[in-house]
Amino acid sequence: MIFFNPEYPVNPVKKIIFKSAKVLQKMKFTGNRALILGGSCDLAISLARRMIEAELFPILTYRNEKGREYISKNLKDCQKKYSSFYLEFGNRDSIDSLLHQTGDDIDFMVDFVQGNFESLVASADIEDVYSYFAENVSFRAEIVKRVARIMMKNKRGRLIFISSAAAKRPNPGQGFYVAAKLASEAIYKNLGIELGGHGITTVTLRPGYIDSGRGKKFIQDHSKEIIDKVPIKRALTKKEVAEAILFYLSNSAAGFNATEIPMDGGLTAGK
Amino acid sequence: MDILEEITEILAEILDIENHNISPETYLIRELGAESIDLLELAVAINSGFNIDVNDDEIFLRKLRDYITEAEQRNKNILQYLVKNLPFLSRKRLENIIADLEGGPTLKVKDLISYIEWQNHGT
Repeated sequence: MIFFNPEYPVNPVKKIIFKSAKVLQKMKFTGNRALILGGSCDLAISLARRMIEAELFPILTYRNEKGREYISKNLKDCQKKYSSFYLEFGNRDSIDSLLHQTGDDIDFMVDFVQGNFESLVASADIEDVYSYFAENVSFRAEIVKRVARIMMKNKRGRLIFISSAAAKRPNPGQGFYVAAKLASEAIYKNLGIELGGHGITTVTLRPGYIDSGRGKKFIQDHSKEIIDKVPIKRALTKKEVAEAILFYLSNSAAGFNATEIPMDGGLTAGK
Repeated sequence: MDILEEITEILAEILDIENHNISPETYLIRELGAESIDLLELAVAINSGFNIDVNDDEIFLRKLRDYITEAEQRNKNILQYLVKNLPFLSRKRLENIIADLEGGPTLKVKDLISYIEWQNHGT
């Protein structure tokens, strides 16, 4: 294997290979329109920007006016290169409204949505448990089903679920969060098993600590502790995660299906 | 193109079979060997081709035997119970289905047609 480090001088042969590598960097996609669930988080916006650069058309969902404004503010230089629609997990009518607006034209779906729910298992309010799973598992099953059927009409589609490294290694208090993540992973996995032969495939990414959104403050408060745990000795950047998602949507990653891929700098690999 | 012709065309493509093998009396599962993934594809194609909402459980009579068990447990008349729960099928067809249960899955092409007509009429 050849490793490149642009900081070091390279000989002419290596220069040629390096140039080829740059050409290879332009990813190819089968399709154009990408539905991004949970589109008002920083990671989703970062992904949308990267998609626009790659000539894809992101369709971001928001759950309230604040989310709509946040998307609009952060993508104000990308007018007409994306759209955004209302979708609130738990509100089943909002699926009809969303899919009515997107029409039968969805090639990709990236799912960032996950409500937060921290509680020790033995102390959880059981009503909250019921509603949490209804919103984060049952509702997701419904939208995955609806989008999969749209993709079946088009005979192609690629779906990526953004899970979490916690799915493998939860902390105390994350039982329900992780249970919902694992249940959702199973929905995506089975979809890829069932419809892979029909051109519809799925991948789950399990990012670890990301210096963005919900994780940012946690990382700031526990930076030394986190760095000690992660073999690469840093958190991931949102740009890195966006790039990885884009890669897994690309034709180059077509062989990945019905699987879960850790992206955590090695966090969950060791003890 | 009438409904039967369109269904025949869809089935021929999904199941990779010749058109002339299919009639309203053809059993989808018993004769054509349609599997669950084929039925899913069929539901999507019917939804798209006829522009109707398709409930997979209804159109493919998936709950037929559950309804019969429920009727027995509640001491209800089975035929009446099915008429209520499968409103797109005629009483005569339901009588035939009840008589045909031992032969295996009862779903026929004409049941799909009944469902599509029923949805088209919004009843």
